[in-house]
Amino acid sequence: MEIIEKIKTNKSDDNLTEIQKICLHKLQSSPLPNPKNELWRLSNKSKLSNFLNYSINEKDSKFETPYPKNSQSIIRFIIGENCKIKLIEKNYSIQQLSEDELQKYIKEQVSFFKQNENWSDLLNLSLSCKNNILGLKINGSKIPPIEIFSHASSNSLNAKTLVIFLEKNCDVELLQVNLGKENSSLSQSTFFCLKENSSVNHGVVSYGENKSNLLNSLNVIQQKNSAYNLGSLHFKFNYARFEISIKQTAGNAKTNIKGMQITKKDEQISTYTKIEFNGPNGFLDQINKSLADDKSHAIFEGSIIVPKIAQKTDASQLSRNLLLSNLAQIDTKPQLEIIADDVKCKHGATISQLNEEELFYMRTRGITLTEASKLQLSSYFQEIISFIPISKDKWDLLDKLLNEN
Amino acid sequence: MVNENLVKDVVKEPYKYGFVTDIETEKIEKGLNEDIIKLISQKKEEPKFLLDFRLKAFKKWQKMKEPDWAALGYKKIDYQDIIYYSAPKQKEKISSLDEVDPKLLETFDKLGIPLTEQKKLTNVAVDAVFDSVSIATTFREELAEHGVIFCSISEAVKNHADLIEKYLGTVVPASDNYFAALNSAVFSDGSFVYIPKGVTCPMDLSSYFRINSGDSGQFERTLIIAEESSSVSYLEGCTAPMFDTNTLHAAVVELIALDDASIKYSTVQNWYAGDEEGIGGIFNFVTKRGKCLGKRSKISWSQVETGSAITWKYPSCLLLGEESVGEFYSVALTNNLQQADTGTKMIHIGPKTKSTIVSKGISAGNSKNSYRGLVKMGTKATGSRNYSQCDSMLIGDQASANTFPYIKSQQPNSEIEHEASTCRISEDQLFYLQSRGIEFEEAVSMMVSGFCRDVFNQLPMEFAAEADKLLALKLEGSVG
Repeated sequence: MEIIEKIKTNKSDDNLTEIQKICLHKLQSSPLPNPKNELWRLSNKSKLSNFLNYSINEKDSKFETPYPKNSQSIIRFIIGENCKIKLIEKNYSIQQLSEDELQKYIKEQVSFFKQNENWSDLLNLSLSCKNNILGLKINGSKIPPIEIFSHASSNSLNAKTLVIFLEKNCDVELLQVNLGKENSSLSQSTFFCLKENSSVNHGVVSYGENKSNLLNSLNVIQQKNSAYNLGSLHFKFNYARFEISIKQTAGNAKTNIKGMQITKKDEQISTYTKIEFNGPNGFLDQINKSLADDKSHAIFEGSIIVPKIAQKTDASQLSRNLLLSNLAQIDTKPQLEIIADDVKCKHGATISQLNEEELFYMRTRGITLTEASKLQLSSYFQEIISFIPISKDKWDLLDKLLNEN
Repeated sequence: MVNENLVKDVVKEPYKYGFVTDIETEKIEKGLNEDIIKLISQKKEEPKFLLDFRLKAFKKWQKMKEPDWAALGYKKIDYQDIIYYSAPKQKEKISSLDEVDPKLLETFDKLGIPLTEQKKLTNVAVDAVFDSVSIATTFREELAEHGVIFCSISEAVKNHADLIEKYLGTVVPASDNYFAALNSAVFSDGSFVYIPKGVTCPMDLSSYFRINSGDSGQFERTLIIAEESSSVSYLEGCTAPMFDTNTLHAAVVELIALDDASIKYSTVQNWYAGDEEGIGGIFNFVTKRGKCLGKRSKISWSQVETGSAITWKYPSCLLLGEESVGEFYSVALTNNLQQADTGTKMIHIGPKTKSTIVSKGISAGNSKNSYRGLVKMGTKATGSRNYSQCDSMLIGDQASANTFPYIKSQQPNSEIEHEASTCRISEDQLFYLQSRGIEFEEAVSMMVSGFCRDVFNQLPMEFAAEADKLLALKLEGSVG
């Protein structure tokens, strides 16, 4: 109940938007997620309550982008800072969604929400004020890459919401960066709607600092013949959850997901994915990697749902995990729920440590153990990192992962 | 290869074990309370420790809630509407098989269970359980020569109370889960096996469970103890008559393997599954668990699950001893409106422990077939390995197949591999077989049999043949 009271004391009823009111009302019936629910069972309760403990902050501290704009034309948005967006070029246009469009879409989404599955979204939408919701409509082709930043401020709980409509035949590269600050909580919800024949390379890089927390939720709706490629990376968060829900509304769509989470110290990072096929000829290729070191805990739970209508679905899901310390732990649970009979579905999961034979081989060639481990790790990371758009030249993610503690 | 004629014959038949034996039975009144438990205990002339065990379990059960996490839907069970003890009336003490009611012998004869002398040639010792009591155990003298104890659990309570007191409830404690607690409170009979140190059991042991009355539940309990360097292969079969009502079956099986011992436990479960509309059938809630206590001990579960309206069953291995081995081979077939939520748990506690899981699920008709498994590597399980493979086959577009593997590791120096796939009978293969003159149903039968080959290879010979027949029979009419 505390969190609801906190929102209410922070803002009087009159200042709440309609969506905030609806979501608050929904939250009231279960102010906290049910710890017995499969999606929350392994989540660290004290870390979650710590997440909610920070005071609600609607205004951000001045944000400095982690690297300057270079010559390559990149369109950059910072959620909470851009007021009016209207980019109309020869080949493409990027416009802000009108208040009505936003309201209508979010309301429709909320109506499908389930209490435990979408608790993070309900919290996010209860907290997000008008300024912190960015809605974009992207149309056209040959669009320069887009970067969208969402960041937290120290000692506070921030909520940011992003809604993106990708119009028909549109093709875009988009990188979303969530930056945590020391002692901060960030609630980020993203709603993606891919119309027919559109395609997106979507990158999500969530990079925390000491004791930062993140609840990151991603809801994707894919219409016919759309292609959604997601590369994601989560690291350096005391507590982070990445919840992905993808719905292929009429099948005939393609989804590729490559995600990775890295936990050290006593961090807990979890990824939950739910992919629903509501039409025939759907395609999914998903790989999720976790690496857990020190006393940390990495969790992956992925479900693939293939109802009767989704004949000829081809879905595969792989969970690969590296456990590097005696005190760390990994939980993984890939699931298949299938009713259609003419489908190809498979999943796999492995948990192990670095391959000893490979290490030995490298050491006999004069490479030190540390170097050899780094080489192995870099090949493990590279598969995911190379899938994240834009970031690769500028962020030097590999170096960050290998050399930072 | 499946004998073609045999498959044809079997396919034509409906559930052939659905007959009822007309025999006078002694039943107690419906309902469950402390008095009933005391009455059961009194009827079985049990020592006090067992009555205390039952009452304690009952108290725990009353505080527990029926689990709802399984992917199963069934109407609520009224636990007060069940008869907890039902036994065929017969002479007090039976010294030889000749004194067993001929009707009972005939029943088991019909089921193909070799109880009578001339059938003993098959070299399988059988403990036959009819409703709540054990009717007969064959080959006892021969087994006793080797020091093997094989008898009903009621007899073991009387003659080997020390072993029962020492081991009962040590693998599956009374408070383990809702159905185990219920079983601990009201269990009526079951089998007891004790293999002494260094003995390899000279023949396969077998229990055959038969539910005969429609309103009594069956709650049997099996306890197998394999001392150091011993080994045993145990088979279990079950059938029930066709009734329009649902009958509850909640069993507990406990296995204990000490140093270098090995236990192989095979089940062919063919309880009545209900009719095509899902009316009737057995609700099968079973807790099976083995404890590999000793070093290099091995427990292997193999099961063919074809019957029951509802199956809720997770034969598990607790791998405590260094280098102990757990295995699970399963074929679960569901048809019509059957629902199965089955799988295994491999808990690696000791170092260098190994486990293998091979699960094959076949869902046809409107059925629901879920694999649910847990593989856990504890902090001390260094150098341990697990390999799991779960394949599902869907026949028809109304059936569902789910896979829920839970994998947890706290030990970096261990390896877990899991893979699962879902497919249907390939049209190319069907076409190939048909073009060689093999009829459609036979071709399907062959392919299903091939799909399950990995598991059938693990079954004792007699069971493997029976399993093949069973699958063909169960798939009748669901293909094409």
